[in-house]
Amino acid sequence: MVRQPNQVDFWRGVALVSIFINHIPGIYYSRFTHAAWSISDSADLFVFLAGWALRLLVGMPGRQQALWYLVLRLFGRALTLYAAQILITMLAIAMLASTAMLLDNPLILEWNNAAAVFNEPIPTHIGLVGLTHQLGYFDILPLYVVLMTLAPFIAILDRFAPNAVLPISLLIYCVTLTFQIGIPTWPVEGNWFFNPLAWQLTFVLGFTLARPDGLGGFARRHIVPIRWVALPIVILGTILMFTMWWPDPTKMPPPRLFFILDKTFDTPPRVIQFLAFIAVVSATYPYIFKFLPWLVAFLSRFGRNSLYVFCVGSILSLAGQIIRNFYQGNVAIDTVVVVCGVAILALTAWLPEWREDVKVQRGTQPALSS
Amino acid sequence: MPAPFSRDCQISGDAVATRSPLPNVAAALQKSKTIRILAIGASAARRSTRGGHIGGILQQAIKGLDVVMINRGVSGELAAQAAARITTEVALNEPDLVLWQIGTNDALAYVPLADLETTIVDTVRWLKEHNVDVVLVGLQYVNSMEQDDNYRAVRDLIRRIGTQENVMIVRRPEAQRMLSHAAVSGGGLEPDEFERSEAGYTCLAQYVARAITLGLFGAGNPPRQPQQPAPLRPAPAPQN
Repeated sequence: MVRQPNQVDFWRGVALVSIFINHIPGIYYSRFTHAAWSISDSADLFVFLAGWALRLLVGMPGRQQALWYLVLRLFGRALTLYAAQILITMLAIAMLASTAMLLDNPLILEWNNAAAVFNEPIPTHIGLVGLTHQLGYFDILPLYVVLMTLAPFIAILDRFAPNAVLPISLLIYCVTLTFQIGIPTWPVEGNWFFNPLAWQLTFVLGFTLARPDGLGGFARRHIVPIRWVALPIVILGTILMFTMWWPDPTKMPPPRLFFILDKTFDTPPRVIQFLAFIAVVSATYPYIFKFLPWLVAFLSRFGRNSLYVFCVGSILSLAGQIIRNFYQGNVAIDTVVVVCGVAILALTAWLPEWREDVKVQRGTQPALSS
Repeated sequence: MPAPFSRDCQISGDAVATRSPLPNVAAALQKSKTIRILAIGASAARRSTRGGHIGGILQQAIKGLDVVMINRGVSGELAAQAAARITTEVALNEPDLVLWQIGTNDALAYVPLADLETTIVDTVRWLKEHNVDVVLVGLQYVNSMEQDDNYRAVRDLIRRIGTQENVMIVRRPEAQRMLSHAAVSGGGLEPDEFERSEAGYTCLAQYVARAITLGLFGAGNPPRQPQQPAPLRPAPAPQN
């Protein structure tokens, strides 16, 4: 029996569609995603809701599973994500290689950080397996793998010292930003685009705010005044995005990462804007549910099957890039890419639930949700 | 003296890069014998397995020089995203020189040329305002793309910005094309474009190092007219 449409699955679906569109650079429709007017984007939403979903998996206080079972389940989940990352990366490499050969255009081999795979295959394959080499736009899942590998420790800490989870997360975040600790990539030198040491804060915030008590309970009890505080922050962020105005980062006091806008380190201005954003935007859900129930049902299905949809979406984004390149990018082809892409994502989300339905009808055990 | 080329990468030095001074790198060199180079873009950030890397080549060419390479080779991003990251990385790492590989992703994504030009020009000027030199590394040379209007337009745009802003450009397409022709005229077969890229990266590191030494010891740098600083986004600052 699948879950009924709900707010978490709906927003997760929104994030997945946004990621699919925004991972096709230059596409016309990216201006209609919230990344166009918000400091934070769908990546923040995706990671936050992953933390929220972890809370649902770990269980609410008083309704928790056996710890050993939970730890095994979370490690298993991390392993599944890792396998998914390897699979979609290999598919992406094959897509780039075959396109380069078909079009007789080796420039495509340089696209999205793939060049090293073809020119230095020996170290780069080690890097691919070790997640130290990530293709462009295939870098969120490695973050998610690390976060889910940390999830058992978060769950254990939450079981025995729930009030320590957020302070420890904040401490790791502050140390990371203060000393600019990056996670190195190899063999192409650089840092992970999504620094897990910084992004774990957004994940833990999702996990903490999903609690019915503590900080989560406080937020729910005071959501109206919180939204009044959050609204000007969201408006200010939108003004900043449209005017491209932000204080010169070189004029910021040390440690500078606390004051500048940076996605890699998920810096405080971004985190604050994101929290304000979800506080404000979550107010719209009851109205969307009331007036557009079909949309809630449609996108909630994406959210319920998020891993499948994310993986297929990543491949479709790359396919969209290739198609745009072939047809020299225009609004008409962008429309075809988005419409076909969302339709395939909908099919991807529908298939596992249809399979479960069939199994239930035949009296067998339902498969695990993704 | 200019950094030398290995045998495989021998072409005329002037063909490799435009000559433009690197005053901030020169000042850093004079002050502390240490230069900090921020490399943005995957190819620029690569440490070649065969021919050494930019920092190592420079250290060999200039006695006593200490080069700190800060590689931030995130790829897949368009120039607009890289530009935002450059300002952050400059604030965090305070480099003397930014080595910016540019154009490939924008050409493939068909980013409007006007947008690309605005991004590059604004970023170059921002860097100059902050006493950071910049070297632009152009697109990879691809025979089959020579007839592609967008590819040629992006390549020409980068050249034009280099001239207009008095910024050094490593002419990657020209260098690669000359290497191909040299191989053919030397009795060899033209190397397969799909197979020669590793050698290309090795040569690229050498060309960049050569360009930097030419910029540093700028004898023969052609005199250029001083540029009128153009307004920066978002608020144009009046020049007194």
